Amino acid sequence: MSKLGVFDVAVRYGKVPALSDVSFTVEEGERLFISGPNGAGKSSLLKAICGAAPTSHGRIEVDGDVLNGRSPEAIARLGLTMVPEGREIFGTLSVEENLRVGTGIRRDKSAIETDIAEVYQSFPILGERRHSNAGALSGGQQQMLAIGRGLLTNPKLMLVDEPSLGLAPNIVDQVYETLVNLQKDRGLTLIIVEQSSARAARVGGRMVLLRGGKVVGDGDAAKFAESDLLNEAYFGQDNSKETA
Amino acid sequence: MNAIPQLFFDAMSLGGIYAMAALGIALIFGVMNLVNFAHGEYIAFCVFALIVPSTDAVAVMFIGKAPAILLIPMLLSIGALVAVASEFFVFRHMRNSTPVAMMISSFALGFVIQNTLLLVYSSRPKAVSLWPELNKPVSIVGASIPLLQIIVIVTTLIVVVALALLLKRTRIGLEMRAAAENFTMARLLGVRANVVITGAFALSGALAAAVALIMVTQTGVADVRMGGQIMLVAFIATVIGGLGSLPGAVAAGFLIGAASVILQGFLPLEARPFRDAFLYTLVIAVLLLKPDGLFAPRSSKPRV
Amino acid sequence: MAQTHKQKRLSAWSTPILLIAILIVFTFLVTLFGDKSLARMAAQTLIRVTFVVGLWIFVGNSGVVSFGHAAYMAIGAYCSAWLTLRPQMKGLFLPDLWPFLANAEWHVFPAAVVSGLLAAIVALISGAAILRLTGIAASIATFAFLAIVYTIYSSWEGVTGATSSVVGLTRYADQWVTLAWASATVLAAACYANSSSGLALRATREDEVAADASGINMYRHRLIALVVSAFFTGVAGALFGHSLGVLNPNSFYLGVTFITLAMLVVGGIGSLTGAVTGVLVLSIIIEALVRAERGVAFGETTFALPTGAQEIIIGIIMILVLILRPAGLTGGRELRLRLGKR
Repeated sequence: MSKLGVFDVAVRYGKVPALSDVSFTVEEGERLFISGPNGAGKSSLLKAICGAAPTSHGRIEVDGDVLNGRSPEAIARLGLTMVPEGREIFGTLSVEENLRVGTGIRRDKSAIETDIAEVYQSFPILGERRHSNAGALSGGQQQMLAIGRGLLTNPKLMLVDEPSLGLAPNIVDQVYETLVNLQKDRGLTLIIVEQSSARAARVGGRMVLLRGGKVVGDGDAAKFAESDLLNEAYFGQDNSKETA
Repeated sequence: MNAIPQLFFDAMSLGGIYAMAALGIALIFGVMNLVNFAHGEYIAFCVFALIVPSTDAVAVMFIGKAPAILLIPMLLSIGALVAVASEFFVFRHMRNSTPVAMMISSFALGFVIQNTLLLVYSSRPKAVSLWPELNKPVSIVGASIPLLQIIVIVTTLIVVVALALLLKRTRIGLEMRAAAENFTMARLLGVRANVVITGAFALSGALAAAVALIMVTQTGVADVRMGGQIMLVAFIATVIGGLGSLPGAVAAGFLIGAASVILQGFLPLEARPFRDAFLYTLVIAVLLLKPDGLFAPRSSKPRV
Repeated sequence: MAQTHKQKRLSAWSTPILLIAILIVFTFLVTLFGDKSLARMAAQTLIRVTFVVGLWIFVGNSGVVSFGHAAYMAIGAYCSAWLTLRPQMKGLFLPDLWPFLANAEWHVFPAAVVSGLLAAIVALISGAAILRLTGIAASIATFAFLAIVYTIYSSWEGVTGATSSVVGLTRYADQWVTLAWASATVLAAACYANSSSGLALRATREDEVAADASGINMYRHRLIALVVSAFFTGVAGALFGHSLGVLNPNSFYLGVTFITLAMLVVGGIGSLTGAVTGVLVLSIIIEALVRAERGVAFGETTFALPTGAQEIIIGIIMILVLILRPAGLTGGRELRLRLGKR
């Protein structure tokens, strides 16, 4: 069974369709990039998966459990966590409190403290500033905090929306290094929205390419970087070709 | 008589009542952006829960007969229950409504509660004698202060500290603060929306019950309209404190209490009936200078 | 299929004409078939139409909920009393009135117009301050404004009679006079809504930030709408006094604020048709409930609702409408004739 299955999913805001006929599956431990131009529906797709936006059609499954119609908090309990675009950390809470918000759903209470210590080990700056307001952190630090906060829900599947947004290139490298290491250590399944296909190719993994709310490509990220498909997705005409 | 300590205690005890009422409103606004106009009627409801339902002028104690040790937790639970029920029957069905629609429906709900009280207890104010011994004066730093004023001040401090501890030290408190700042994100991290909202309403209702107990002891009257005025002041306190900011609500509550006592003390005699008009004008002036309140949380500005 | 621009404009103007026609039919029916008390109810209803449509001019176009319009109503009501009461009466009950007002003995019509103007001037001054605020803070400030006016009018013994009622107003506001004013208000509301200021203001209703970015001076248009709106609510106040013959500050506080907002919400805040519909529907329900409170005979037994049930039922209706049909009965649509070919 796939870790995540997305079947024929459509999302609409009022009468405006944001996604239609989106289907793909993700295997356990896989790294999947979702890419495409602005307005392609990348964020809508992540929101639909984590329950923040209702689907108007189709089915989404995690480990065979259907997610449609479940609340975000119920979906989080299935081991899925979201690191949203713009980080959305709780600015008035301390760094440590941010990390603890998501621990309420865990059964293994005893492991929480070691996990927090582990996050501080991976991101020493967070440990140093554990008692200060999270709002005072820099953008890169906030991104680390958002990732750490997601990890503390003890997820099996992590969705990361545009982790490079608004960060300096060297910080972005650091973020990706962290994500790749985490995946290695914990066997996480990772789904990352990344607008830069070059970046995705460099990190390596599979890539689903969206355009106009539809899947226009699905394959190895490195191969995409060489093919015309990317160009077509970003600049091409509406009658986009289907890919095999 | 020593006028300055007297004024100080008046201001602190009045401010304490306002602060507690404002906290009840700010809590709910924080977690669900609801301006809850029904809050004043929670207070009135708790006052009337003390006496036997009847339209007679003389009030017969009902719950009010119980000894304080039973009465206080009982009334706090009643307040919590009324608030939770109002969420369950009304606001739960409006989760996707605009804040304006929710505000108007809370106004309507307040009216329903008030008129139900009117129907059951009639509109005549009733004399209620709850713990009259607390109104005996005691002498402190040369001023003669009713014991109750000191109790009010101490109670307010206890309530504020207890609430702060609850919010700072407990799981539900952490979830409430997270939800107050970013509800969707909190839910994505597994925070149960219904638990947090129900918790906030329960706390808010219990605070209303505390205000009710103090008011009824202080005034010795049960009046259907008693919730209205305090609610208005409490609202203004939450707005001045920066909507959704709990420390702001407390500070602004004390500030308005002080302003109102000072106006009462220093306005010329013929202007005193107009005290509230001066007070509200002052409030509008403060809002104009600081539209987000004096203690607005940093994240309250809409992002463009 | 498509309407021409001219037809569209004509079609927009059909709204007030249809609404006024409905009001005229309503008044005629009540006068022809009803008793005296029903005629009085018709006058009350038409005063509410004047008030609620006046309120809609501001709330409907700006999207800012005002809790303060009952204050403009009070200002209008007392102004008309000052101008029209017999000087001997005023000397007795309102001894501190300024000589000009104390000796005034105006005709009722100019008095009503001046009452509206006074409310409009107060709106200009209060609005200049309050409308600097936006969103919830603005609504709370209108509430504070209501409390200010209420405090003043219920404490200013020698000028307003404070909490003791002012009596002896000429009861000229019957169903015909109020029909005329209600119609005028509907017409004015349509004029404002179709004016450039009204259109600009409705653009801000959807999105304050975007409208601001596109260069609309939201503050100015809100202020214009408030002033026009206050004029008619002031007139409604004057009519109110001259329909009951008695004035008391408590008539212009939370009760009337609640009932008029309920009417606006039930009918639908988004449209002029909604404002009129809300008043008519709730007024009929209120009348039925008032009669039910007095007692309705079912064969042998008399069934009577307890006093006060009226407000409870109206409140519940209001909450149900907000939950089940948030845009009100009309859903924000206007009643209009479709001109041109289909």
